[in-house]
Amino acid sequence: MPTTDLLGRPTTEAEDELLELYRRCKALLARDDLAPCARAGARVATVGLWNAVNDLALEHEQLLDLGA
Amino acid sequence: MGAGEYWNPKTETLGRDELAALQLAKLHRMCDWAAARSPFYQRSFREAGFDPSQLRSLDDLRRLPMLTRDEWMASQGEQPPFGLLPVAGREAAIRWHTTSGTTGREPIRVLDTAKDWAWQAEMWCYGLWGFGVRPADTAYVAFGYGSFIGFWGLHYGMEKMGVLNVPGGAQTTEGRVRQLVDFGATVVASTPTYALRLAQEAERLGVDLATGGVKRLILSGEPAGSIPQTKALIERLWGARAGDTAGMTEIGTIMIFECSHQPGGTHIIEDHFIEEVVDPASDEPVGYGEAGERVVTSFGRGIIPLLRYRTADLVTKVPASRCACGRGFDLYEGGILGRVDDMKLVRGTNVYPRAVEGIVREFPAVEEFQLLLTREGHFDRIALRVEPAPEVTDQAWADMAERLAKALAEAHEGLRFEVERAQAGELPRFELKARRTVDRRDTPIGG
Repeated sequence: MPTTDLLGRPTTEAEDELLELYRRCKALLARDDLAPCARAGARVATVGLWNAVNDLALEHEQLLDLGA
Repeated sequence: MGAGEYWNPKTETLGRDELAALQLAKLHRMCDWAAARSPFYQRSFREAGFDPSQLRSLDDLRRLPMLTRDEWMASQGEQPPFGLLPVAGREAAIRWHTTSGTTGREPIRVLDTAKDWAWQAEMWCYGLWGFGVRPADTAYVAFGYGSFIGFWGLHYGMEKMGVLNVPGGAQTTEGRVRQLVDFGATVVASTPTYALRLAQEAERLGVDLATGGVKRLILSGEPAGSIPQTKALIERLWGARAGDTAGMTEIGTIMIFECSHQPGGTHIIEDHFIEEVVDPASDEPVGYGEAGERVVTSFGRGIIPLLRYRTADLVTKVPASRCACGRGFDLYEGGILGRVDDMKLVRGTNVYPRAVEGIVREFPAVEEFQLLLTREGHFDRIALRVEPAPEVTDQAWADMAERLAKALAEAHEGLRFEVERAQAGELPRFELKARRTVDRRDTPIGG
């Protein structure tokens, strides 16, 4: 199913890949079995991807409940 | 324009209608977030009869109550230390910063989560990239790295872009001059005032900055970065281009930046902010080309939602088409023009510190100056205290003082400024936010 950005425009292949990575990072960050080193790394990765998907108008949400 | 000119080509080149649609989508989410989590907004929305579902167009933004600094401060007093605006406590944050405290008032205290902090660096990337900074650069950050948020975001923005970054922390001005030369800096970040001070110090040390490696200066923290005379002086002394930016602790980062086309104004990062300009007396919006007060809504910092914050900054918005860079972002002509309460009334004449600085900077021998207002009986006095370069002789000073007084009077309906020579090193020097206007007219005798 095609996805659209916040403007309702179809996303590009690269944007889809970014969104997928972002969602996977969030899911990882939500786990409660991560070692501190893994959790910290997942948080940095999630935050980095959040900026990309936010800039590209793909997603705009808060990460506070994930500890970020 | 090539896509390589933009940090984020997709949204920086959106048309105005699409930009408005994106702002509305983000505004919805921020209002929902604030309504769900912030005790302050829960109360203010209730008192104003506002619900986020009422937002159908950007015009509905005006249904939201404005937030003032006084309300923020009162909130901090009601629930110390951070007040009722935050949606979470300090345990959720990774940074705690404060306003600079240069006004002597209690500072505003702000928190940032990991996401918020990274977003602040991101905003600097828009500005740095837009002014031509690239990963091959070496940046020198002339900043004290304290609790004032200042250039912290720039520092991390540079790192994010892959720029070799030199943190010029707490040290002497001489030490900073030597470091930026020794390390081969191509970009220097500082306040406009401090850029001038570094240049003065370099001259004293026999370092010719104008033939050195610095190609770009990133200015922030004072309106002077967009005062044409000050900017021209900085660019001449450094032999580099100077780009203005402006931000504030309340949003944590910059919201405007000058692009490499240097159009005489600063672009608003409109995919991350809504910037309204209103008449400070009536709160009614003013049109393009009219001066008014900035009111900012930010889509960035999540732990402290900021909706319709009145900044007291005086600005004039002009359309994006004023600049040839191809961005869809509107601009503030001349950057931040000053504060809405900056204007001084002296014997019936309006005096704007920005205009005075513009005149003073046409005299390159001025090392530092101060505008001093006093009252004797019912008579207001206005004096320009000037610290010229030490080599300025008495004869040269007399000539300079006469020309300064004439230029100031001509620009102020004949108002007489007393131009006085201050001793070398007598006037205060500033690293952050210069305070050159001293108004003692309300100070009691002996106070």
